[in-house]
Amino acid sequence: MTDAPHDLLSPPKVRRSPVKSILLHAVLIVCSFGMLYPILWMISGSFRPQEELFGSSSLIPSALDLGGYVRGWSGLQVTFGRFFWNSLVISVLATIGNVVGCSLAAFAFSRLRFAGRNFWFALMLGTLMLPYHVVLIPQYILFLHLGWVNSPLPLIVPKYLATDAFFIFLMVQFFRGIPKELDEAAVMDGCSPFRIYWKIMLPLSMPVLATAAIFSFIWTWDDFFGPLIYLSDINTYTVQLGLRSFVDSTGSSDWTALFAMSNLSLIPVFLFFLFFQRLLIEGIATTGMKR
Amino acid sequence: MASQTETMHRGSRTAALRGQSAFRRMLDRNAAGYVFLLPWLLGFFGLTLGPALASLYLSFTNYDLLQSPDWVGAANYVRILTDDPKFGAAMRVTFTYVILSVPLKLAFALAVAMAFNRGIKGLTLYRAIFYLPSLLGSSVAIAVLWRQLFASDGLINMALWQAFGYEGPSWISNPDYALYTLVLLSIWQFGSPMIIFLAGLRQIPKDMYEAAEMDGAGKARQFFRITLPLLTPVIFFNSVIQTIEAFKAFTPAFIISEGTGGPINSTLFYTLYLYQEAFGFFRMGYASALAWILVVIISLFTAFSFLGARYWVHYDD
Repeated sequence: MTDAPHDLLSPPKVRRSPVKSILLHAVLIVCSFGMLYPILWMISGSFRPQEELFGSSSLIPSALDLGGYVRGWSGLQVTFGRFFWNSLVISVLATIGNVVGCSLAAFAFSRLRFAGRNFWFALMLGTLMLPYHVVLIPQYILFLHLGWVNSPLPLIVPKYLATDAFFIFLMVQFFRGIPKELDEAAVMDGCSPFRIYWKIMLPLSMPVLATAAIFSFIWTWDDFFGPLIYLSDINTYTVQLGLRSFVDSTGSSDWTALFAMSNLSLIPVFLFFLFFQRLLIEGIATTGMKR
Repeated sequence: MASQTETMHRGSRTAALRGQSAFRRMLDRNAAGYVFLLPWLLGFFGLTLGPALASLYLSFTNYDLLQSPDWVGAANYVRILTDDPKFGAAMRVTFTYVILSVPLKLAFALAVAMAFNRGIKGLTLYRAIFYLPSLLGSSVAIAVLWRQLFASDGLINMALWQAFGYEGPSWISNPDYALYTLVLLSIWQFGSPMIIFLAGLRQIPKDMYEAAEMDGAGKARQFFRITLPLLTPVIFFNSVIQTIEAFKAFTPAFIISEGTGGPINSTLFYTLYLYQEAFGFFRMGYASALAWILVVIISLFTAFSFLGARYWVHYDD
């Protein structure tokens, strides 16, 4: 791993005596290992023979056993394949909704002039502070009357209506940094606002759109509260709900299988971490995201 | 004369035309703005403002989803504040959690960020490793893992037995300890405030430290006189965000206690209690009142933070 020269988070390297340097790295490696130990232990635990998990805090299983994955995959009356599919559909559709809905609103707030713009913008900022618990119950009642409870719609449709004000705010900040001359020139050439949005703003905003997309995917994938409230038929369960049912049904009897399914549920988030680590970390550094 | 009237005529016509087109342009411009804003407006009225007002109304009623809401005045609020032991328990649990987890998490985040800010090879890798728990931490899988770590036959007790021959209790099913396992889980996820601190530390000009060194200021003095004061805006930001998040914590308590908030309400987070009232007992009016009390608590906290900020947060202007 090397740092790019213009990394805004990396301080310039300092020359140290080799002894000091080795010591520092030793401490850091031990700490990193300690941080990750629980996760590593869960990964190795999922490959152990069922009877071995307890009584060993070592990371190396005595034998490689995939039984946990086999038992876990079909441990409930519906397989985890179904849960993964449901989670994937909800996360992809919600992510698209977030990016489309929020970028439309952000374009209006940052680039179009219209009566009442500042008023709506202030209201939008106000919703950033509102805990979702106050809208939770009436939203539930609304979706109940629409017949959407027990379907993924309540988890998807609101995203198209730009209910995640945080992402609007993020995009407004970015759009404002794009030179205004570009769209003024386009207006001169007779471009409609929609063409400016589609042909100029979106292509120039890939970094912020990618950041928003990745975070909304991860947050939707990890979301537990929403699915818990809206999905009660096991066929509609997401991975998180499936895991929770699995905990309740196995209690603490089959930890190997439980760990196996937990590991699988983390894979998508982990892949994003692996491939977009810099984008995630810079997203947090520049916007102050909560996690 | 004729030509003059003609030019006048033409002038007024172009003026009229211009006026008309200016009006049209304004209309177009407004129309474009509102077309782009339409999805957000629908969401704002239909899913945010409307429901917020509805829940305010519901908080003054009893409502079980089956019969229409029954107006009871402030009875829900009165009962919550004077005659609800579970509310008291939820407040105790939530405040303990906030007061312990937020400062400890931020202290870890700052300490690690300071260590990282000294120029280390492989920083990107270390930073990523320390950030990972923060990214994964809110998932059910990690809550499941935590349940196992602190179970009576879990990893922690195994290690305690091997190292000290100490036979530990089941931490998650002991009301004295259950909450503290969740505090640990929260501290473990110090990654994102750490990254924000790291970005803040990078903003502090290097020559300040050089000047301080010239004047003979030691490391401790530099920390208290330069780093800490210049970092106060970031500390303030992180503590407000993390506190609000801590008030809203839900998933780990739900998984560890199987939704009960037990043992003996020791992990009954505020949001978990609200969930039980709303979706366990279908007391929608009562739960709405709980939600509004949460809003008041969070708003009061935020307001006091901002009021207090002027005494300790350093803005250079």
